[in-house]
Amino acid sequence: MENVQEQTVDQPKKKSKWNQILKEKWLYFMVLPGLIYFILFKYVPMWGIVIAFQDYSPFLGVWESEWVGFEHFQYFFSNPDFLRLLRNTFILALYDLVFFFPAPIILSLMLNEIRLSFYKRTLQTLVYVPHFMSWVIIASVSYVFLTTGGGVVNELLSGLIGKEVNFLSSPDWFRPMIIGQIMWKETGWGTVIFLAALASVDQEQYEAAIVDGAGRFRRLWHVTLPALRSTIVILLILRLGNFLDTGFQQIYLMSNSLNRSVADVFDTYVYFVGITEGAFSYSTAVGLFKSIVGIVLIVGADRLAKKVGESGLF
Amino acid sequence: MKAKWFRYVILAFLVVGILLVAGCSDDSETAGNDSGGDSDGESSGEKMNLRVFVPTFSTEPPTDESPVLKKIEEYTNKEITMEWVPNSNLEDKFNITLSSGDLPHVMYVPSKSPSFISAVEDGAFWELGPYLEDYPNLSQANDIILNNSSINGKVYGIYRARDLGRNGVIIRKDWLENLGLEEPKTVDEFYNMLKAFKEEDPDGNGQDDTYGMVVSKYEGPWDVMQTWFGVPNKWGEDENGELYPAFMDDNYMEALDFFKKLYDEGLVNEDFAVMDPAQWSEPVVAGEAGVQVNVLDEGHRIQEKIVDANPDNEDPITVIKTVETDAGVHNLPTSGYSGMLAVSKTSVKSEEELKQVLDFLDKMNDEKAQILAENGIEGQHYEIVDGKYESKLADDAALKAEVDGFNQMLMYLPEPKSLKAESTPLRELEENLKVENEDIVVPNPAESYISDVYSKKGQQLDNIIIDARIKYIVGQIDEAGLEEAVERWKSSGGTEYMEEINQLHQDAQ
Repeated sequence: MENVQEQTVDQPKKKSKWNQILKEKWLYFMVLPGLIYFILFKYVPMWGIVIAFQDYSPFLGVWESEWVGFEHFQYFFSNPDFLRLLRNTFILALYDLVFFFPAPIILSLMLNEIRLSFYKRTLQTLVYVPHFMSWVIIASVSYVFLTTGGGVVNELLSGLIGKEVNFLSSPDWFRPMIIGQIMWKETGWGTVIFLAALASVDQEQYEAAIVDGAGRFRRLWHVTLPALRSTIVILLILRLGNFLDTGFQQIYLMSNSLNRSVADVFDTYVYFVGITEGAFSYSTAVGLFKSIVGIVLIVGADRLAKKVGESGLF
Repeated sequence: MKAKWFRYVILAFLVVGILLVAGCSDDSETAGNDSGGDSDGESSGEKMNLRVFVPTFSTEPPTDESPVLKKIEEYTNKEITMEWVPNSNLEDKFNITLSSGDLPHVMYVPSKSPSFISAVEDGAFWELGPYLEDYPNLSQANDIILNNSSINGKVYGIYRARDLGRNGVIIRKDWLENLGLEEPKTVDEFYNMLKAFKEEDPDGNGQDDTYGMVVSKYEGPWDVMQTWFGVPNKWGEDENGELYPAFMDDNYMEALDFFKKLYDEGLVNEDFAVMDPAQWSEPVVAGEAGVQVNVLDEGHRIQEKIVDANPDNEDPITVIKTVETDAGVHNLPTSGYSGMLAVSKTSVKSEEELKQVLDFLDKMNDEKAQILAENGIEGQHYEIVDGKYESKLADDAALKAEVDGFNQMLMYLPEPKSLKAESTPLRELEENLKVENEDIVVPNPAESYISDVYSKKGQQLDNIIIDARIKYIVGQIDEAGLEEAVERWKSSGGTEYMEEINQLHQDAQ
């Protein structure tokens, strides 16, 4: 009896799945270009990481190069540079998470409170603008503003407090400067997703809250923020996946002899060793290590999010 | 309605798909044609197709349609495809090209960088040494420079000759005259001049808006100035014949203390460690700084800019070689060459082809080829009026774009033969000083040695010392910090590097 029943239940299910696929064949067809793109440009190149386990030489090619196993990883972890790089990268990433990550949330909450729609839209557009500037431009602008002996900020400082601060070359100021630049450039752009999430909040909830006598901050706390919560969690998980990505261009442009002790991060190290010294295998190993840390963090954060009742990524 | 809209979307995807497929097949077709052309050339004795990789300093390098290139092709009997690389990211592009494995026939090699050396070890380039004697111009290459440019004595590229004694000091002559000062001869006079440039209002505008010397992020000037104090050029030799790195020399601290004094007293721009080297000359042009330690020929370029801005200031610049210290009169040489032209084995497969390529390189040293590549075509790009050379390039950007950059293919062996503009007194002075410099430049005894350790970690090792020097100058670290940096240099591979260099030195004796 049971057997028969199972079959009768199973059979149409399978069939209906096929039918559904057939019915939506155009949708599947439409997804094809995207799929091909990812396979061709994201997955196929991944086999290149095998050179991390080789003593790769471009003229011998991947097949002829000598296999060395984990030698590059061993060398990297035992290298005195490793701890310094790890420390610099981690601190920068932590600063980024603590200071930059909440900034777009706060800004979008503020924008959300603006009632005059014209004013709000103009403001929104204005805060997006820095996102479209390249790091090269931002680096030169920073130089003009922050340099000693003629920089606008330092002119101001010497007028106000009577001394100049060497922002560009002091190791103490490097991290605040980097985070400041990121915040200036990306905060506005980061509000896009939050504002979209806020647009979907049911207005009746606000009305109900007003009827219940909730003031502005009560509404913010009990209606707006809970509506944003899952968006924040998902973005946080994604951000953790890129935790060790510190943005090569920016750091490369802002580092110099005087702040290199804090400015050396994995990304710049991979560039110096891989491109300028031609150690392709070694720098691939370093890059691979970084990616693995990223995967571990992203999966870990996802599990954690699920444990506390959020939907997570996977 | 909805169905129609849907069909359009599908159509759009199909079009994109077809374009992609077509794009791909297009590529492979042209690639096929290329290689077809190549093999044709070999079999039927037609013109060989040469790909040439050289830097460009212009944003608009000449195209392959340039009439000048056509003339060069005619003269050398080759088909040339130029692969221009912006000089600003040359090292990156060079390494990436190396790693691609598809090398052009003739490749400009900026320096004996680790990646070039490992490419040579992997057999990417022809060893040219044994062939050179068969060619009238190449055989006249200078043996010392050839050795300098070699890898442990083997020549893998033909050097592009440059003056050895190119370094010097550029000074605002008008400021000297305003203050009634002479050109400095000793390091004390040099210091007094910088001090006067800062404190005595050399431009006479009544404001405290000038300083002594401008230095940028580029570390070259410190290297040059420490040589004045008797610090060796990269490696010094002690009484036992042992080589030691320059920063272990007794005079090194004296030089650094002098630099520190300049910085502390505000005679050098405070932001030098972060200043973009591309803007290095601007403070001198703009009348903020009075001195720059640079290649001598920057002198007339700065002069022209000052005169352009203020035609009344007719002769604002002078140049000197160096200044005398307790250690004597010294100057830092340049390596005598600026990069090499190497021949790759991936594109040039046989010895016959190699001989053709060498024939091309040899012909590029002929007077006619030098003039074509540097000056252009007579009547089009320049005229000879009463026996004097007059270039037309300065006034016509389109004409300039037909010539500008081909001189990167020139090696000037045995000497430059292209046409030169009529000389100004400053240019003449620069040329004379370059010759005089050759007597006082300090050679690097380890120039031709290739160390394995350095190939792997050179950049990091150099950075430790360069960074420590700058930190000391600005006062971020003291002498103890400097010693710490030397210890770190040793433990990061410096000790092995020294041993290796000394081993090579002994073997070479």
